[in-house]
Amino acid sequence: MRAALCATCLVDQFFPEVGEAVVAVLRRAGVEVSFPEEQTCCGQVAFNGGYEREAREAALRFLDVFDGSEHVVVPSGSCASMMKVFYLELFEDDPALLERARSLSERTHEFTEFMVNVVGDTAAAKGFEGKVTYHDACHSLRELRISAEPRALLEQAGAEVVEMQDSDRCCGFGGLFSVKYPHISTAILEEKLANIEATGADAVATTDCGCLMHIRGAMSRKGMQQRALHVAEALAAANAGEGA
Amino acid sequence: MTTQDPEAKAAFLQRVREAIGRTAPLEYVPDYPPLKSAAVRQEEKVRTIEARSLARRDRIVETYLENAARAGWRVHRVWSPEDAADAVGDIAQGIRAKTVARSAEDLFRAVDVDGALRRNRANPVVLAAGRSRSRADVRRLAFEADMGVTGVAYAIAETASCVITPRKGVARVTSLAPPVYAAIVRAEQVLETLDDYFALVRHQHQRSRTRSFNYANFISGPSRTGDIEQTLTIGVHGPGEVHLVLIS
Amino acid sequence: MSVRTAQFRSASAQAVADPKLQTALERVMGHFTEARAHAIEEFPGDSWEQLRERASAIKAHTLEHLDYYLELVDKSVTRNGGHVHFAADAEEAARIVLDIAKQAEAKQVIKSKSMVSEEMELNRRFEEAGVEPVETDLGEYIIQLAGETPFHIIAPAMHKSRQEVSALFQQWLKSAPTNEIKQLCAIARDALREKFRTADMGVSGANFVVAETGTVVLVTNEGNGRMTTSLPRVHVAISGIEKVIPAIEDVSLFLRLLPRSATGQRITSYNSFVSGPRAQSDEDGPEEFHLVLVDNGRLNLLRDPEFREALKCIRCGACLNTCPVYRKIGGHAYGWVYSGPIGAVITPMLTGVKGAKDLPYASTLCGACRDVCPVKIDLPRLLLRLRQREAEGDPARERSSTWLERMLMGRWSNAVKTREAMERSARLGRFLQRPMERSGRIRRLPVPVLSGWSRGRDFPPLARKSFAQVWRERLAQEPSE
Repeated sequence: MRAALCATCLVDQFFPEVGEAVVAVLRRAGVEVSFPEEQTCCGQVAFNGGYEREAREAALRFLDVFDGSEHVVVPSGSCASMMKVFYLELFEDDPALLERARSLSERTHEFTEFMVNVVGDTAAAKGFEGKVTYHDACHSLRELRISAEPRALLEQAGAEVVEMQDSDRCCGFGGLFSVKYPHISTAILEEKLANIEATGADAVATTDCGCLMHIRGAMSRKGMQQRALHVAEALAAANAGEGA
Repeated sequence: MTTQDPEAKAAFLQRVREAIGRTAPLEYVPDYPPLKSAAVRQEEKVRTIEARSLARRDRIVETYLENAARAGWRVHRVWSPEDAADAVGDIAQGIRAKTVARSAEDLFRAVDVDGALRRNRANPVVLAAGRSRSRADVRRLAFEADMGVTGVAYAIAETASCVITPRKGVARVTSLAPPVYAAIVRAEQVLETLDDYFALVRHQHQRSRTRSFNYANFISGPSRTGDIEQTLTIGVHGPGEVHLVLIS
Repeated sequence: MSVRTAQFRSASAQAVADPKLQTALERVMGHFTEARAHAIEEFPGDSWEQLRERASAIKAHTLEHLDYYLELVDKSVTRNGGHVHFAADAEEAARIVLDIAKQAEAKQVIKSKSMVSEEMELNRRFEEAGVEPVETDLGEYIIQLAGETPFHIIAPAMHKSRQEVSALFQQWLKSAPTNEIKQLCAIARDALREKFRTADMGVSGANFVVAETGTVVLVTNEGNGRMTTSLPRVHVAISGIEKVIPAIEDVSLFLRLLPRSATGQRITSYNSFVSGPRAQSDEDGPEEFHLVLVDNGRLNLLRDPEFREALKCIRCGACLNTCPVYRKIGGHAYGWVYSGPIGAVITPMLTGVKGAKDLPYASTLCGACRDVCPVKIDLPRLLLRLRQREAEGDPARERSSTWLERMLMGRWSNAVKTREAMERSARLGRFLQRPMERSGRIRRLPVPVLSGWSRGRDFPPLARKSFAQVWRERLAQEPSE
């Protein structure tokens, strides 16, 4: 099976280790991974800010970059939603582009969903030691209806998965929102952190690098002991036989 | 009396029309089945509901009583009109009622509530205006009564609702102003669902074009509020204690 | 109600910093969301979803033919002996209601809850005309005594503690202090019973208006709605034009959706169905019935194909209860009658006020509101559309986006045009971040727009090597297993 990795701009520039983890997990499962280097950003930043023209430009580029890929794997629920759902809205008035967007939408997969539903038997190592709680990233959950997949993968990897209260509540990131209304954003985040802490888990895992950056940023500021991981990192750690 | 002139209304409707993107009124009735269904079809529908209600009566009543208990009704199941009257008498005694207001309905010919109340040292008052009683009296007496008793037009199992349709002999205040209320329901008055009830209403509406559905009330439990600290409190403006006397 | 949306930033900051308010929000919002979730559990499979689909379709149909159905309401109510008035705006609506009060020589008016009357600032208008308005819904009564506006559509006084309510009652009703909620309810009951008996006119809202039969449907729990529609000589119902539904048989569907979505109840304690004045022979009930149907900006939504769906709203408040933003800032910060996600969508459209431009950005676009909406309004999409209009510069309104934000967006747009451009920007970024970075994190980000991030959160520095570089150097060559 062949898959093109859409790393997302956050992974590309801030969290390359997440990209490495994704590649390692995919390869272990026997997927032939490529990385079309012309990719930059899916345009979600602009789209959510209301900058439709700029978002469209970015989307057009992605239609080209991933034109021939059999599967496109994205380690981010919100970027995957952008490509699977919102591109269709962006191009709804242009039949030719809409057709291409539809094709890309069908070929695009969020990473955990791809592992469970396309790759199937992942034959993952059980090397992960520790307690993990999963934070449902909003777009993964509500645009793509992904919630069982990441939990199943974490369990397969040997993690003890504990549920936090309101795992499905937003962490308060919301892209532009987090800098436009930092006082509200951080108030929402506080509740998330308290819920994470209450589980007694060693780590919180999620499927979106926006949430990851947000939760990590506050954990680092507060000097919290827990770690915030991308699910792919937990799986890669399991393969390497490491604990949390 | 204040009314709006037809031209002002027409101008308003024209603005609405233009906002939708049309310039002229519709020349046809919108294709909306619940509005278009003819009287004959509605008649059939009502017959079906009646047949189903009859066939499933026991189960419907069971559901009704279960839901009623869950909704905060105190349920009294009786098997005869005499027992129903006694049940009302007992309720009155339980709250040490001095005055009990009731409606003037045929129901009370069979169910001798007045007698039962007197036996329990409560004074029955019929809330109906007439030669000796003005509308103002009706209102005053309702506000002074310790308890109100009425029959119902229907009951609805799905929602544990008593349907009251005020009319001559049935004042709105009887089931509203006293702190305790008892509804007397006959098993054959219980409908299964809200849909059944509104199908009947539509049937009546189609048959008598005017004033068919003037005012109706569902009472589906005690008066309640959560407005202070979202803490459920029973009995604000309406009755805080509601009894359901069901005659099977 | 006066529009104070321009103060969103400061008002929301105050709310977030108010521990008392935070406690109240946490308790009440938690209660509502749990109750709702519990209430819809009894619907197996996708049957709840089907109810939502049907309700959404009925509302869409009604809005597409709204002129027809409004005319049908007029005919039906008139046939029943009532009067229908159409009002273009809040001002006209208030004038109509005041005229009715004047004709009726009303000195005292009892009100059961009406959000449209908040749009009209009807209480103030009554007072100016020498009429005493009394709110009779307990929550509304409390905030009327406090001189405030509703905090929440369903729970208007949820931000008030029992101590605050007791203080208000002591001040206004000369009652003895108490911390017993039951006792407080009893005090209000006694005070309002007198008003019920003596009021000349009752004003109610409308949860639904049925065109076929000309019926106003009221959904209440306390019994004040029944009092208001039964005791005074005149009853005036006020409704937005969007509350119309076509047929009487549609009511059951909406009665299944509304209380469950709002308070998690199967049904409320009372439902009143008012189609006109009392019949001559009736024992009691109003002699006069008026229905005032109000536009007040709603045609702005109807006219706009993208925003028309916002008029499907049945005002259940579920989107407020689930919204992470509302749960932290509450209702008053939104600055007008309607708050939460639906408020953020309709306030800018209804008021047309420039000051409301911040509201569409007061959302993380998490989508929770869309999932709970009983009529399936795609609220996140509408918020996005409003942002698009702001960013593009709607000629009718002032932009919300600052020139700085637009400039940064332009920079971003250039930076992501090609891989090379992105790497170039990243190299510059890595150079610039050096003085800020301390042991793998950035604690202060003195960059316009982005600086808000450093409040409570560290920023990750740009990685030494981008993933693309890592790929080129190490990963591209590695064979698959």
